[in-house]
Amino acid sequence: MKNFNYVKAPDVRGALAFLDREGDKACVVAGGTNVMVDIRAGKMNDLTLVGISDIAALRGIQEEDGKICVGALTTISELAASTLLAKQAPALYMAAKVFADAVTRNSATIGGNIAYASPAADTAPALLALKADVLIESEGGKRRVPIAEFFTGVNKTLLQAGELITALEFIPNPYSAFFKIGLRNAMAISVATAACAVKLAANGVIEDCAVALGSVAPKPLRAYEAEKILIGRKLDDDTVKAALEAVGAAISPIDDTRATGEYRREVAPVLVKRALLKASGICVHESCKDGEGRIQHG
Amino acid sequence: MAELLTLTLKVNGEEKTFQAPAHLSLLRLLRDNLYWEVKCGCEEGDCGTCTVYLDGRAVKSCVTLAHACAGHEVWTVKGLGYADDLTAKLQKAFVECGSIQCGFCTPGMIVAAKHYLDHDGRADRKAIREAIAGNLCRCTGYQKIVDAIYNVACELSNNDLPHNSKLKTQNSRLGLSGSPLGGVAHE
Repeated sequence: MKNFNYVKAPDVRGALAFLDREGDKACVVAGGTNVMVDIRAGKMNDLTLVGISDIAALRGIQEEDGKICVGALTTISELAASTLLAKQAPALYMAAKVFADAVTRNSATIGGNIAYASPAADTAPALLALKADVLIESEGGKRRVPIAEFFTGVNKTLLQAGELITALEFIPNPYSAFFKIGLRNAMAISVATAACAVKLAANGVIEDCAVALGSVAPKPLRAYEAEKILIGRKLDDDTVKAALEAVGAAISPIDDTRATGEYRREVAPVLVKRALLKASGICVHESCKDGEGRIQHG
Repeated sequence: MAELLTLTLKVNGEEKTFQAPAHLSLLRLLRDNLYWEVKCGCEEGDCGTCTVYLDGRAVKSCVTLAHACAGHEVWTVKGLGYADDLTAKLQKAFVECGSIQCGFCTPGMIVAAKHYLDHDGRADRKAIREAIAGNLCRCTGYQKIVDAIYNVACELSNNDLPHNSKLKTQNSRLGLSGSPLGGVAHE
């Protein structure tokens, strides 16, 4: 028998009070696109559902003091319609454009996508490449966690009982990109994803970069060794080849219903390469040109 | 038995009060209260036939928590069909273009199409396909559904329908849409 309670949080303070009171018996519900499926499947029970969808303060995209702050309740549709993100954080914009389908994007939120911590979460590699911070609040105060440390395993994060993700914050980087391959052109959970962000010197040398992948390990991850190879060098064939080999060493893909681990090993470096070239303003492949982060089928 | 909680929301313009368990989906709330025009398909957010209009945007009611809708405004395809000109136009176009076979996906398709056209959707077949990508249809092969939405989009943008629209509609009825006679050249 399903046994749930429900409380609607009027504001952030109210939500934190509920979360503090309920402890690990609380389950935050934003868009509901993951939680409702898990409730129906019997994966969760005996919980208090804390509805936060009416908290306006958690919604919206702001640029302030050289940083972009995306409220946790911002829907994926809002990300995909943001001209600010399209210019200043294309990796996140491209991920939002190919996230699930148009109707699901109206409900799904960026905070929910991160909190649920699916290895295949589409916004995760984009936020990793942008080196975003996860802003967290609880009754006890506020903290900020680099997203590279936030995921700890399949559906597991550093988030403690009583804590709420309030926003994702990052420094804009117009030189970033995201690519996804799924089994279809829409409504596809990713087979593999990659996002890259680069900072190029005038002479073409990579001053800084971030390479991130999804669906190729128990959690979305950064390929630090690949980044080390890229930094300080120009984006020539040898450098890219060496970096992609390092990507191969960083991932540990499994066989599942969507693809084999072997296939993921083949496509992940290809996605990284395209993201890297797109982020650097060098487009070599047809699929990079339409501004959508998706490898088209058919 | 799980405790029932009270919620009040507007459905099709009327304020309604319901009793529902905490975890109930908006889909179940609506169907349990005789809004049978909202169809129950996969109940996992995949098929889209349960799509309704919530506060001016299309959402899948099966993955929407009913209690989270308290104080909000929900419209089903039936309510929209009576109250909203655009929805009525879409319904007519679906019938004219033969976009309905078994009809099970239609309520969700119409609401997803309304969302698209309400949010600056243009007469662009690729964009229309994107807009209904979360709504599965196992009968039509989508072509006639895209035709119907495309025709309404043309009408809205005050552009006249493509001059071969009559032919297109006839061909759609004959199942020729998408063929060289199907008139896709005028996109």
